[in-house]
Amino acid sequence: MTRTVARYLWLSFFLGGVGLHRLAAYRTDFFLGAGAFLVRVGIQTAVVGLVFRQVPAVGGWSYHEVLFLLGFSLLPRGLDHLFTDQLWELGRKLIQRGEFYRYLVRPVDPLFSLLSERFFHPDGLGELVVGAVLVGYAGAELDLSLTPLQWALAPALVLCGALLHTAVKLFFASLSFWTVTSLPAMYAASQVSEFSAYPLDIYHPSLKALLTWVLPFAFTAYVPSVYLLTGTTGLLGWLPVVTVGALALALAVWRRGVNRYEMTGS
Amino acid sequence: MIVAERLVKEFRLAEREPGLLGSLRTLFTREYRVVRAVDDVSFEIPAGTKTAYIGANGAGKSTTIKMLTGIMTPTSGRCLVAGLEPYRHRQRNARAIGVVFGQRSQLWWDLSVPDSFRILRRIYDIPEPVYRRNLTLFRDLLDIDALGTTPVRQLSLGQRMRAEIAASLLHDPAVLFWDEPTIGLDMVLKDAVRQLVNRAHRELGTTVVLTSHDIADIAAICDDALVVDHGRVVHQGTLTDLLRTADHRSVVFDHRDGTAPETARQRIEAGLPGVRATPDDRGRIRVDYPTGRYTSREVLAFLLDRFDLADWYAPEPGLEDVLRKIYGRSRTPGTAHEGAA
Repeated sequence: MTRTVARYLWLSFFLGGVGLHRLAAYRTDFFLGAGAFLVRVGIQTAVVGLVFRQVPAVGGWSYHEVLFLLGFSLLPRGLDHLFTDQLWELGRKLIQRGEFYRYLVRPVDPLFSLLSERFFHPDGLGELVVGAVLVGYAGAELDLSLTPLQWALAPALVLCGALLHTAVKLFFASLSFWTVTSLPAMYAASQVSEFSAYPLDIYHPSLKALLTWVLPFAFTAYVPSVYLLTGTTGLLGWLPVVTVGALALALAVWRRGVNRYEMTGS
Repeated sequence: MIVAERLVKEFRLAEREPGLLGSLRTLFTREYRVVRAVDDVSFEIPAGTKTAYIGANGAGKSTTIKMLTGIMTPTSGRCLVAGLEPYRHRQRNARAIGVVFGQRSQLWWDLSVPDSFRILRRIYDIPEPVYRRNLTLFRDLLDIDALGTTPVRQLSLGQRMRAEIAASLLHDPAVLFWDEPTIGLDMVLKDAVRQLVNRAHRELGTTVVLTSHDIADIAAICDDALVVDHGRVVHQGTLTDLLRTADHRSVVFDHRDGTAPETARQRIEAGLPGVRATPDDRGRIRVDYPTGRYTSREVLAFLLDRFDLADWYAPEPGLEDVLRKIYGRSRTPGTAHEGAA
C-alpha cells in the first residue's frame, strides 16, 4: 500500500515535470491561455464593480465579500484544473477516435494514466494565483481575521471544492463511454459551475437547490466562503458527505464505463 | 501461455434509418442489432511460440486481440494470458505484454520519442541495463535516433511505427501482441522489425501473436498459424501444415530439347489428366497439379521422362491461395451466420 502510494507520488512528480517541460515547448499556447483567462476574470471583476456602483449590497453581500467569493471560487477550480484537464479530451475525442485503449495497456491505474497526460495545466496555475490575490485583497479590505480553526479548515475546504469539480467533470466525461462523445454535457456542467462564483442568495430557489443538491457547486465556493466570512457553518457539515458521495458516484460511473469500453475500428 | 475458452464478444449496433426523417425517428425509438464479432472461440497458444493470427476483415481477430490485451471484456467465455484474465487484472497484465496497434498510437502525442521512452521506463520500472540494451538495439536496427526531438504527432507514419514498435519491446514483455505492425514501413525497416522480434523470441523466449495483411511478415516471423473466420477457429497448427493444405502444388521447369511451348503444354496435359501447364514467354513451363491426384514424385518422374530438364523448382504454395480456399469453404451456406438477435 505505502509502496503503491510512494510509486504514484513519484510518478506524479516525474510526469508533472514532463508537463512543465511541455509547457515550455508550447509557450504561445500558454500565453494565449493565460491571456484569455485574465480577460475573463477581469470582466467578471468589472461586472461586480459595476453592479456595486449602483447598489451598496447584493443579497446581503458587500462588494468586497462578493470579491472574496469570486476569488475563493477560483481556488478549487484552479486546483482541479491543474490535474484533471485531460478529462475534457475523454469527453471530446478519446472514445470517439478509439484512442482510449492506451490507458488500459499501461501498468498504472487507467484514471491516473489519463490525468497524468496533462498534469500541471498552466491555466490552473493562473486561476490559483489570481484567486489567491483576490481573496487576499478582499480579506484585507474586509479586515477579516480568521480563527485558528478557520485557518486550519481553509485548505481542506479548497481541496474538497476541487474534488467536487473533479467529480462532476469525471461523471460527465465518463458518459462518453456510452455516448461516444459527451462534450456538450461537460460544457453545460462547466457553464453551471460559473454560477458558483456569485452569492447563491441572489438566485431563484430552484437554481439554488440545483447548485446545492444536484450539481453541488455551492459547496465549492459559496458554503466555504460564508463560513470563512461570517463563521456561520450552515451547510458546511454536508460538505464532506457531498464530496465523498459525488466522488464515489463519479468513480463508479467511470469504472463501469471502462469495463464496457468498446474500442472502435480495427 | 495464452488460452481462450469459448470466447464470445457481441456488439450492440444502433440501427439507423436512412434519411432525415429516419434519423429523427432513431432519436426516439432505437433499435439494436447484435453482431457477434467473436463466436465461441477456443484455442491455446503455447509459451515461446510465434503465432500468426489470420483472418479476413471482420473475422474477429482485432476483437480477440483487444480481449487478450485487456482492452475489452468478453460477453461470455474467458481468456487467460500468463495465467491472468487480462480485463480483470489490467495493470498486472500490462507489465507482461507489449502492444502495437498499427492504426492507433499509444505514444504521448505532443512529446518527443526520447521523452516518451523516459516515461515508459518509469511506469514499467525498467532496470537500467535492460533499458540501455534495448535502446542500443533500437538505435542499431530502427535508427531511432533519427527521430530526434520531434513531437510524435509530427512524425510520418513510418517514423511513428518505428517508435511504436520500439515502445512495445522496451520492457522485455513476455508476450507481444502486434496488430498490423509494419504499415508504413519500407522493405529495410520491415526487415529490421522482423529481426527485432525474432531476436526477442530467440534470446528472451518472447511469445508473439501477430496479425498482418503482409503475408511476407507472417512468413518471416511466425512458425504457427491460427486461422479465424467468422469468429471461429478454422485452422490451428504450424504455418507449414497450413501451407500443406493447399489443394494445388506447382512445378516450374526449363528444358532444352526445343519442343514448342504449345506442343509441350499439350503433351503434359494429355499425359497427366487434370493438370494445367502454362508456358511463359521465355519458354519456362509452370505445371499446376492437384495434390489429391498426383504426388510431386509422379509429376517430376513424368517431366524427367518426357523432357530434357535444364532447371526446375517447386514454389511454396501461396498463403493467400490457401486462405482464400479456407475462407471460401467456411462461407458455404449452412456454416455462415450473421449474428441476428
